[in-house]
Amino acid sequence: MPLSQDALWYKDAIVYQVHVRTFFDTNADGIGDFRGLGQKLDYLQELGVNAVWLMPFFPSPLRDDGYDIADYTSVHANYGNLEDFKTFLQAAHERGIRVIVEMVLNHTSDQHPWFQESRSSRDNPRRDWYVWSDTDTKYPGVRIIFLDTELSNWAWDPVSKSYYWHRFFSHQPDLNYDNPAVREEMWKVMKFWLELGVDGFRLDAVPYLVEREGTSCENLPETHAVLKELRAKLDQHFPGKMLLAEANQWPADLRAYFGEGDEFHMAFHFPLMPRMFMGLKLEDRKPISEILKQTPQIPAPCQWCLFLRNHDELTLEMVTDIERDYMYDQYARDKSMRINLGIRRRLAPLLDNDRRRIELMNGLLMSLPGTPIIYYGDEIGMGDNIYLGDRNGVRTPMQWDGGWNGGFSSADPESLYSPLMLNPVYGYQAVNVQSQKRFDHSLLSWMKRIIKVRKSTPVLGRGSIEFLYPANHRILAYVRQLEKESILVVNNLSSSAQAVELDLRRFKGNILIEMAGRNIFPRVGELPYLLTLGPYQFYWFRLRRI
Amino acid sequence: MAEESILTDEFLRQLINVGEADILVGVPTYNNAATVGQVVQTIRAGLLKYFPRERAVIVNADGGSRDQTPDLVRGASINDLQHSSDLYALRTLHCISSEYSGGPATGTALRTILASADLLRASACAVVSPESTTIEPDWIERLLRPVYQGNFDFVTPLYRRHKFDGLLMRNLVYPMTRAFYGKRVREPYASEFAFSGQLGSHFLGQEIWTHEVGHTGTEISLTISAITGGFRLAQAFLGAKPHVDARAADLVAAMRQTVGALFWSLEPNFSLWSAQTESQPVPTLGTGQEVTLEPLHINRKRLFGMFCSGVAELQPVLKSILSSPTLSELQRLAALEEDDFRYQDELWARTVYEFAASYHKSVISRDHIVQALAPLYRGRAFTFLVDNRDASGEEVEQKVETFCLTCERLKPSLVELWDGRK
Amino acid sequence: MREMIVSELTQATQELVREFARFLPRLMVMLIVVLVGWLIAYILKWILRSVLRLIKFDKLSENAGASQLLNKAALPSSTELVSRFVFWIAWLGFVLLGISALGILGLQEYVARFFVFLPRMFVALIFMFFGLLAASFFSRAALLWAVNTDIPSPRLLSSAVRVLITVFTASTVFEELGLADSTMLLAFAMVMGAVMLGMAIAFGLGGQHLAQRFLEARFAPEKKPKEREDELSPL
Repeated sequence: MPLSQDALWYKDAIVYQVHVRTFFDTNADGIGDFRGLGQKLDYLQELGVNAVWLMPFFPSPLRDDGYDIADYTSVHANYGNLEDFKTFLQAAHERGIRVIVEMVLNHTSDQHPWFQESRSSRDNPRRDWYVWSDTDTKYPGVRIIFLDTELSNWAWDPVSKSYYWHRFFSHQPDLNYDNPAVREEMWKVMKFWLELGVDGFRLDAVPYLVEREGTSCENLPETHAVLKELRAKLDQHFPGKMLLAEANQWPADLRAYFGEGDEFHMAFHFPLMPRMFMGLKLEDRKPISEILKQTPQIPAPCQWCLFLRNHDELTLEMVTDIERDYMYDQYARDKSMRINLGIRRRLAPLLDNDRRRIELMNGLLMSLPGTPIIYYGDEIGMGDNIYLGDRNGVRTPMQWDGGWNGGFSSADPESLYSPLMLNPVYGYQAVNVQSQKRFDHSLLSWMKRIIKVRKSTPVLGRGSIEFLYPANHRILAYVRQLEKESILVVNNLSSSAQAVELDLRRFKGNILIEMAGRNIFPRVGELPYLLTLGPYQFYWFRLRRI
Repeated sequence: MAEESILTDEFLRQLINVGEADILVGVPTYNNAATVGQVVQTIRAGLLKYFPRERAVIVNADGGSRDQTPDLVRGASINDLQHSSDLYALRTLHCISSEYSGGPATGTALRTILASADLLRASACAVVSPESTTIEPDWIERLLRPVYQGNFDFVTPLYRRHKFDGLLMRNLVYPMTRAFYGKRVREPYASEFAFSGQLGSHFLGQEIWTHEVGHTGTEISLTISAITGGFRLAQAFLGAKPHVDARAADLVAAMRQTVGALFWSLEPNFSLWSAQTESQPVPTLGTGQEVTLEPLHINRKRLFGMFCSGVAELQPVLKSILSSPTLSELQRLAALEEDDFRYQDELWARTVYEFAASYHKSVISRDHIVQALAPLYRGRAFTFLVDNRDASGEEVEQKVETFCLTCERLKPSLVELWDGRK
Repeated sequence: MREMIVSELTQATQELVREFARFLPRLMVMLIVVLVGWLIAYILKWILRSVLRLIKFDKLSENAGASQLLNKAALPSSTELVSRFVFWIAWLGFVLLGISALGILGLQEYVARFFVFLPRMFVALIFMFFGLLAASFFSRAALLWAVNTDIPSPRLLSSAVRVLITVFTASTVFEELGLADSTMLLAFAMVMGAVMLGMAIAFGLGGQHLAQRFLEARFAPEKKPKEREDELSPL
């Protein structure tokens, strides 16, 4: 199955987010590797995804899950070597799966040779590659992101006896993007991977590239200029490749990262995700439809990236205090489930392992405008281990079967990079790929079907959205439209059966065809269209005029 | 014959859209456009502030207003269609309105609200008068919190009132309700109150809706129902009660709504109240009620005049209601000079008890009995005003308390009269 | 001659005896009819009384104010009254039936007319009953209303209402009975006129202050605000 030649491939993509380390171990060292990932590509193809987003696999001291990169153009020895990566990349492409790799622009590890040189002396040529200061009072008022671990954005370097700027952990010094040499070097890094054949980058922490006195040092015009420069080079040399922005910002601020279609192709919609969980708990569509209403229009080639869960905490930065308190009380009563401003849990445990709610949330993910991202393991309903530190609880090994190490590795269980899930509900004996493959009603089988339905039409990936506002606020209903094709999506966010009257007069004369079962529903007439939905039920209808 | 529903199909659709609710606030209206907007905004503010997470709904039962009243209520809705930036709400807040048939009647309005609460399975409900312009957002909390937390089933208000405000309440309704049913509920007939879903459903199932009390005076019936049903009562201090209360402007109407309903309730509850010998206090939440003393001009002379003419003119009617010693005592009083006139506690209590017994026996039309009490009440009100002309708030309260005790002491005489002579 | 007298007498006696013999069974029939009629009427009364007690007719009439009316007229309770009335009507009917059985010509006609008249009398009686009830009820309602709204001379108003309703009732009753239609209509008109005139004079004289006050309030600006009782809410 060759790759499609469509330059807008990312609009139709269904992305699978995975860390090499967590997926499959072929050399029995307890850590997943590229060969393992390559062996499991058939599984991903079967699932139906057509893009993989790889989290950082570069050489790194691994003090921030690989986001502290010590060498941008190589593969961490734990995961194999560059040859293994190339083999994997080719195998993926052969199966029609594109590969998106992580690129951390903002900072490097303090172990990176550049930083070692930079700190070695004040007059080193690479001194200016990082942000140095004699005082820790520059850029006051800039917020600290990792509230739980960091006290300041400045850290003291005892070697060069000055302070360096870091927006994340103190072992991750920020690169100085005011320096053209840095910008040139980072483009070289990207070119290296593009030449190998990767299909796109997820650019980490983009709002923080440039610092200016008297600002929040986020979303600055200078930062956008850096990004536009990168994009121009990308379009010029590697057309059809994609840039995805990680910018945890309000929709209005996010809008700038699309530029006029000359900056990012895609960006994560951070504020939407917590509101989906909130709407579900409140049994009220208001949070979801309100945030989508506030979401600005983006240029035609651009696309939002939607996700339910990822490797980080369920971030609550983009909600109000009342909403955050509510989310904590509803989803993280146990304080150990909270980290920074968020909740470090996986999808299934967040939803009390309720199959109906998991399905509804995935249904929303697949039908709201944007490209859906599935976090590895969520397709089988894996659990989390809140007793592991930081966000490692949601980064446990993939559970393939009920055998040795859950089929992840043949190493000694003690030598695994992370303990496996063992509890009777979410443990690998209960939740694994093999057992779910055997049953048609398993979550995995259901996920395959919904992905298939989603891929059966370009409307859900590319169409416009128009909300219907039925008086019943527990029903979230919208029409997705692309050219002449329309899809009506009706979701019941409530735990009880609901009746809803939809104003479909616009579509008078159309027949509704339920997309999963292809059953025909009555023709739309002049009267409000009455539907009844069971608890957490949702329908996707194709509107057809016959 | 299928029982006719009091909810219209249109209103039912609105209720379906609201769905199950935790908290329901009812606003009975009839041409209240002047004040209802402010009241509903305050209710909404209270709900958002104190119950941001609960599923709440404001239900307006309208008696057929020809001004913009229902629109003003509906306009306070919060949903994803009308987003205002100065208002933050976690969830949708429905404000729905229904026009009940049969013209304005507080009882029908309350029934509509009760039926909505029952259908929406609201666990705590409050009723707020559209004329309560002194309402503050925290009234909503004070009324609803005790019910919502499941500690109480019925919360009646305590207001800051003028010492001469609510004379009928002080001189008749409160003492008599207390004497009959043994609970010291200061405002048994309130324009604001809260009740649990359980009590609401219980009351809705009562047989009062086909009677007159199902139309007027339903509020006091709810209070009595809460007491006789063994529900947990509480009183919450709210704040100043607004002076104007159109419902009560007409004394006879006010008496029908309160005394009429109170007398009516005695019949089915005889076994309960006849066995009740003393009263218990009701738990009071918040700081106690205060009495304001600013000078107020009241036409006492007119009260006295209407008493005297009432006793004289109604002689044939009173003769069939009152015992002859009581009547002759009243006639003696009516002949006195204004300065010497005092309608004492004991005589007044006896008068009311004899009226209650005559009401029970229906010696004449029951409505006429209630009407005939009005002139006598005026005499009593006159005495109260004269006696308390210079009294402090505490002294007024003390006098009310003394009268209550007199009523409780004399209650056996009513039990005797109930099935006894005449 | 003597023989003739004897024979005539004998013949007359025989005739009389024969006549009597012919009449005797009719008399017996009449007596039986009257007796059985009494029995039936009594049973009817008993059944009616039970039914009325069962449906609490007394309470009904009490509420309407009828009992007080009856008390005033020193009459027994309304249940008793109705059942007794029915008893007498029924028995009277049987008595008349018996009389007609006697076969006396003129009498039969009267009896027949009585039976034709009976339903009208019934209706008339019911009219009267309810009319008097209404008069009592509305006069009291007017009295209470007048007292409670501080209107002068409540008794006068009350009496006027009573007279008006009574007169109206009486006219309806007489018309129903069909007694001297035109005479009654005339009499009613005269009484009505008299009452109206009386009332007009009474109101004119007695109510001139009221009228003055009303006109003042209506057409002249009020000099000082009227002090209202409900300056303070009673509740």
